[in-house]
Amino acid sequence: MIKIFDGGLGTMLQAAGLPPGYCPELWTLENPEALAEIHRQYVLAGANIITTNTFGANRIKLSHYNLQDKVALLNASAVKTARSACGPNTQVAGSVGPTGKFIAPLGDQSFETTFDVYYEQAQCLDACGVDMIIIETIIDIQEMRAALLAAKAATTKPIICQFSFGADGRTVTGTDPVTAAITLSSLGAHVIGANCSLGPEQLLEVVSKIAQTTNLPVSIQPNAGMPRLENGRTIFPMTPEQMAEWAPKLVEAGAAYIGACCGSTPAHIKAVRDTLQNCGYLTNPPFRTQLTIPTALTSRTNTVYLGANFPTVVIGERINPTGRKALAADLRAKDFTSIKKEALAQIQAGAQILDVNMGVPGIDQADTMKQAVETLSMLVAAPLSIDTTDPSALEAGLRYYPGRALINSLTAEPKRLEQFLPLAKKYGAAIICLPVTGAGLPSTPAEKIEAVQTIIDAARQTGLNDADFVLDALVLTLAANPDAGKGILETLRLYREHFGFPATMGLSNVSYGLPRRELINASFCCMCLAAGLDAPILNPYDTSMQDALAASAVILGQDVGSKNYIQKQAPKEALPQTTTAPIQSDPLEAIRQTVINGEKESIIPLVKAALEAGYSPLEITDKALTAAMNEVGTAFGAGRCYLPQVMLAAETMRAAFVTIKETLPSHSVKSLGTVLLATVEGDIHDLGKNIVAALMENNGFYVIDLGKDVPPQTILKATTKYKPDIVGLCALMTTTLPALDETIAVLRAAKSTAQIIVGGAVLTPEYAQQAGADAYAADGIQAVNIAKALTAK
Amino acid sequence: MQTYYPTITTLKASEVRRYAGLSPQTDFSEQMLQTAMREAILLIHPQGTWNTYPYDEASHIIYTPDPVTLEGKNIQKFLTGAVQVAILAVTISTTLEEEVTRLFADNSYTAALLLDAAGTAAVEQTADELCRIIRHQSSAAGLVSGNRFSPGYGDWNILSQKEILPLSGGPALGITLTAASMLVPRKSVTAIVGLYPTQAQSYPLDTNHLSCQHCNQNSCLARKETTNHDKDF
Repeated sequence: MIKIFDGGLGTMLQAAGLPPGYCPELWTLENPEALAEIHRQYVLAGANIITTNTFGANRIKLSHYNLQDKVALLNASAVKTARSACGPNTQVAGSVGPTGKFIAPLGDQSFETTFDVYYEQAQCLDACGVDMIIIETIIDIQEMRAALLAAKAATTKPIICQFSFGADGRTVTGTDPVTAAITLSSLGAHVIGANCSLGPEQLLEVVSKIAQTTNLPVSIQPNAGMPRLENGRTIFPMTPEQMAEWAPKLVEAGAAYIGACCGSTPAHIKAVRDTLQNCGYLTNPPFRTQLTIPTALTSRTNTVYLGANFPTVVIGERINPTGRKALAADLRAKDFTSIKKEALAQIQAGAQILDVNMGVPGIDQADTMKQAVETLSMLVAAPLSIDTTDPSALEAGLRYYPGRALINSLTAEPKRLEQFLPLAKKYGAAIICLPVTGAGLPSTPAEKIEAVQTIIDAARQTGLNDADFVLDALVLTLAANPDAGKGILETLRLYREHFGFPATMGLSNVSYGLPRRELINASFCCMCLAAGLDAPILNPYDTSMQDALAASAVILGQDVGSKNYIQKQAPKEALPQTTTAPIQSDPLEAIRQTVINGEKESIIPLVKAALEAGYSPLEITDKALTAAMNEVGTAFGAGRCYLPQVMLAAETMRAAFVTIKETLPSHSVKSLGTVLLATVEGDIHDLGKNIVAALMENNGFYVIDLGKDVPPQTILKATTKYKPDIVGLCALMTTTLPALDETIAVLRAAKSTAQIIVGGAVLTPEYAQQAGADAYAADGIQAVNIAKALTAK
Repeated sequence: MQTYYPTITTLKASEVRRYAGLSPQTDFSEQMLQTAMREAILLIHPQGTWNTYPYDEASHIIYTPDPVTLEGKNIQKFLTGAVQVAILAVTISTTLEEEVTRLFADNSYTAALLLDAAGTAAVEQTADELCRIIRHQSSAAGLVSGNRFSPGYGDWNILSQKEILPLSGGPALGITLTAASMLVPRKSVTAIVGLYPTQAQSYPLDTNHLSCQHCNQNSCLARKETTNHDKDF
C-alpha cells in the first residue's frame, strides 16, 4: 500500500491570508479555521497523512519572532487543528523542521543545544497525540542526527527522516543519499526520504539510491518543479497533471510514501493519488526485493563498505597515544595538531578508516574524544573507528561524529557488553567483536568462535543485526605463540564459514620480538587477506605493507586491470636531471646545473668537492653560481621557467654559499652592494618583497629587510644608518601609492645617494618615473638585474 | 547572520599551481606541492558569513538599512538582472600567513611561496563553499545565484571595501580593514553575489568580459592563460 502525504502548507497559507514575514504558526493559532480548511482539502484530495503546521515551531526559529516560550502552545494548537480536520482513517504527522543554524563544528550552535531544542518540540508533538514525527527539509546530517536522537528519546512513535538534496545530489553540507540512508537506518529511523529543493524528475534518482541502500520504506515529497521568481513572487510551475505523471515512476523507484512540498496544492495530491489508483500501484505497488545489507561505515560525505565482496579496507592505527610520549603530551595540552597531521598522513598513505584512541591517563577522555571526532570530521572524509574501553569516551565519540562509526571493540566480558551494547544500539554503530572472555585469551580458533558467538547473541538481543558486526581474529605474537600464525588463518576461515561477517585484526602484533618485522607483517598480511581478512588495522606508513596490499589487491582480483598497481610501480616523480644525465666531469659545470635544477641536497657535496679540488670560492661563485642564476633569470624572463623553480634555484644558491662559508670561514664574500627593502606604509602584503629579498641575497647583495607597513621616516632613518646602494620599495595597491610617493620624496629631500627601485602589482614604469624612482622592476629577477646594473656603474 | 565553517579536506592542485606562478604544463616537484597543500589544510581555519539584501539594478542601489549605491561599470553590468545581492566575507585566519612569514625568515623560499599559494587557493575554496550555500538557499525562493565579484575587480574601486566589509558581516569573523583598504587577515575575501530570477534573460551572464584577458594587471602571478572556457568570475 502506498501512503499519500499532503502537499505544501506554505503556499496555501499565503493564499488564505498569511501576511509575509508573519510567524506561520502564530497565524494559524489565531486563525485555526483557515488551517483546518486546508487540512480538510488535503484529506478530501486523498491524503492518508496530514502534516501539522509546526515546521518552524522550535525554540530557535520561534525566537526570530520572540515566541521562543510558546513552543508548547503553538505545537499543541497545530496538532489539535490537524486532528479536527482528519477523516476516519487519516493520520497526523508532527512536522519538525530545521533550526536554521549550522551545527558545530560547521557552525556555532552546539549539538546539545540542537538536541535540546528538538527534544522539546518532539515531546510536545508526542504529548499532543500525533501518530508519527516527520523530520523534514534537513540540509545537514548532524542536524538530522540530533533531531532523530531527540525524537527517539521523546517518543516511541514512528519517525520519518527527510533530507533536502541539492541539484548536485548532495545536501548543502555534502551528504549523498546513500551515505544518509546508511547513517540514518542504523540510527533508528523508520522511514527515510527527501523533500523540497527539487522537483520529482530530479528526485527520482535520490529515491532509487535510498531504496537500493536500505530496506526501510522510502518517502518522497518533491516541489512542484523548480521555482522561479515572477513579479516578486516565487512560482512553482508544475501543474497537478505534470506532477502526477511522475508518481508511478517514483513508486517504481521504491517510494512507499508520496506527497508534495513547495508549490503544491490539494489538486496536486488528488492527481497523484488518482494516477496511482488508475495504474494499480496505490494498492499493489511493485514488489521491493529485500536487500542484503552489507556492512558499511560512513562519514559526513563518504561510505566505506567492508566484506568479502568489497576491496580490502585499511584501518589506520596511528592516532593512538599508547607508548608515544609526545602525542600524549599534546593531548594533555589539548593540542590536536599532531593528531591532524597523523590523520592526513595516514589517508595519504592509503588508510580508508581511521582508528581514534584518546587513552591518556589523567585527561577528560570523553571531552578529548569529542574534540577529536569533530576535528577529524572537518579534516578527512574517512569514517572513524572509536577505540576505547571507557564508556563515556565511547558515547562522546559516537554522539558527536556526523556519521556511522565503528566501535573498537566489544569483548565477551559481561561488563563490556553491558556498557557498550546499549551505546552501539543507540548510536547505530557497527561493532568489532573481540573474542576475549573474562576467562582470559582464547587459545584455539574454536574458542574464538565461541566467544564471538556470545557477543553476537548479546548484540542481537540488544537489537543489532548482521550488518553491524566485524570480527576480530585476535592476533598474538608469533615469538611467544608459534601456532599463532596458523591459528589466525584457521580462525579467519572459520569466521567466513560460520558467520560471513567482515574480519579485522591488528596485524603488527604478530612480529613482535622478531627481526625484520616488516617482512613478517607483510607476508602475514598477504596470507590473511587470502584466508578472509577484510579490514586490517595497521600502520599505513609501512612501505612493505603498502606493497603487500597493492600486490594482494591484484592477486585477489580487486584491482581491475591491475591499474592501481601499475600506476604505483611507475617511477616516482622524474629524477633530477643530473643523476640521469652523464656525470659531469667538470665540477663547476655540475654545480651550475644543480643550481639551475634547484637540487638543494645535491649542491652541498658538489661544492665541498670543488673546494677540495682546489677551486677558489670566487671561481665557484662567478663561473658556476652566478652563471646559474643568470641563466635561471633569463629563462624566467623568457617564460621558460617559473617562479617556484627560481625560488628553488635561489635556495640551492644559498646552500652553496652556506657550504662555502662553513668550509672556509675566513673567506669573505664580496658583496655587490647593500640593498634596503621595505613594503611601504599602510601596505601589509610582503610576498613580492620577500621574493625580491631572497633573490637579491642569493645574487650577491647584502640585504636589509625592514618588513611591511614601514613609515617613510623609518626608511629614511635606516637609509641614513646603513647607506645602502639600492632602496627597493614595494606597494601592492593603488591606495598605498601615496605612501610610496612620500617615501621617495623624503629620501630625495634628505639627499640620499641610494638608487631607488620600485615594484609591486600596482606599479608601472610610467608611475615609477613620475614618482621620481630611478627604476621600475616588474618582478624579482628584473629587480636583481637592475640592481646589478645600477651598482656596477 | 551566522558563521559557517566549511569542511576543506583537499585543495585543487591546479589552483595552487596557478597561484604559485606555474603554468599548467610546467613540470614541478609534485612532492613539494603535496606537502604545501597538506600543510595548508592543517593550518587553515576556514570560516565565512554573509547577508542578503534587496537590490535595484536600475539605480544600482543595495537596500541595506543605509542604502549603498554601487559605482563602477563592471560591477553594475555584472549585477544586471539581479533582484537581491548576497554580500559575503570569508577568511582562513592568520595561522597560515604566519607560517609563510616564518618559512621566508628560515630561508625556505620555495615552501613559503607554495604555502602562500595554497593559502590563496584555500580562501578561494572557502568562498566557493559559501557561494554553494547561498545558491542553495536562494533557489528555495526561486532565485539563481551568479558568480562572485569582489571590490578591486575590474573598475570596482577597492575603497568600496569600506562599505562592503560591514555589510558582509565580516567583522564578526574578526576581519578588519587597514587604512589602505586591505583586509586583515590577509587571506580574506569579501564579495558580492547577485541573485537573479530564473526566467530573467540576463542570466546566465556572459562573464567573458571579466576574464583575466581583460584585466590590466599584466604581471599578476595568477593570470590565467586564455581558454575557451575562461570563466574567471
